[in-house]
Amino acid sequence: MILQLNQKFQHQFTVDERVYQGFISIFEDKNLLHTSEEFARKKGFQSRVMHGNILNGFLSFFIGQLLPTEDVIILSQQINFKNPVYLNDILNFEAFVEEQSEAVQVSTFKFKFINKENKTVSAGKIQIKELL
Amino acid sequence: MNRDEILGQLTTIFHDELDNDEIVLHFETTADDIEEWDSLSHIQLIVAVEKAFKVRFTSSEIQSWNNVGEMIDCILKK
Repeated sequence: MILQLNQKFQHQFTVDERVYQGFISIFEDKNLLHTSEEFARKKGFQSRVMHGNILNGFLSFFIGQLLPTEDVIILSQQINFKNPVYLNDILNFEAFVEEQSEAVQVSTFKFKFINKENKTVSAGKIQIKELL
Repeated sequence: MNRDEILGQLTTIFHDELDNDEIVLHFETTADDIEEWDSLSHIQLIVAVEKAFKVRFTSSEIQSWNNVGEMIDCILKK
């Protein structure tokens, strides 16, 4: 296998205006929590909350572009949202290979996104298969 | 564990991984007998079985199985 047990990866992502507007433009989720400052503040948040599934886009980039091989397919993905992400937040992404099954060329990553306040905003696991 | 006990535990794994609680496994069951048992779910089944029984298979072992009973025999040999 190209990936190795405990192999670590890091990257920095920014939820900037382009990403935020791009997500809304494509998926059309204009829920007030994501689009209204006033509504978001009334609900106890600092500002508009970014769509949690933007992070799934970052995960797609990680698997598709940052691994040492592009011959991979995602088998499963599990993500927990722990803290809100706001516009222009810079997120440090960390992942490592937690488990492997050589027989079927499967690696399971454990990952987390950490904001500038050192809070984990999201964490989870992704299971991928290296394609032969 | 004996063959029947492993079959019972495998049934639970198949229910979880294939998201179908109506699957009934027999020693003779093959992928052709279960609609949800396709190529990608097969991989996830193998990973789940390895984890549950704390065993590691080789690719040649996996390719040699003709049915669930042969998978169980392989687990018993570990």
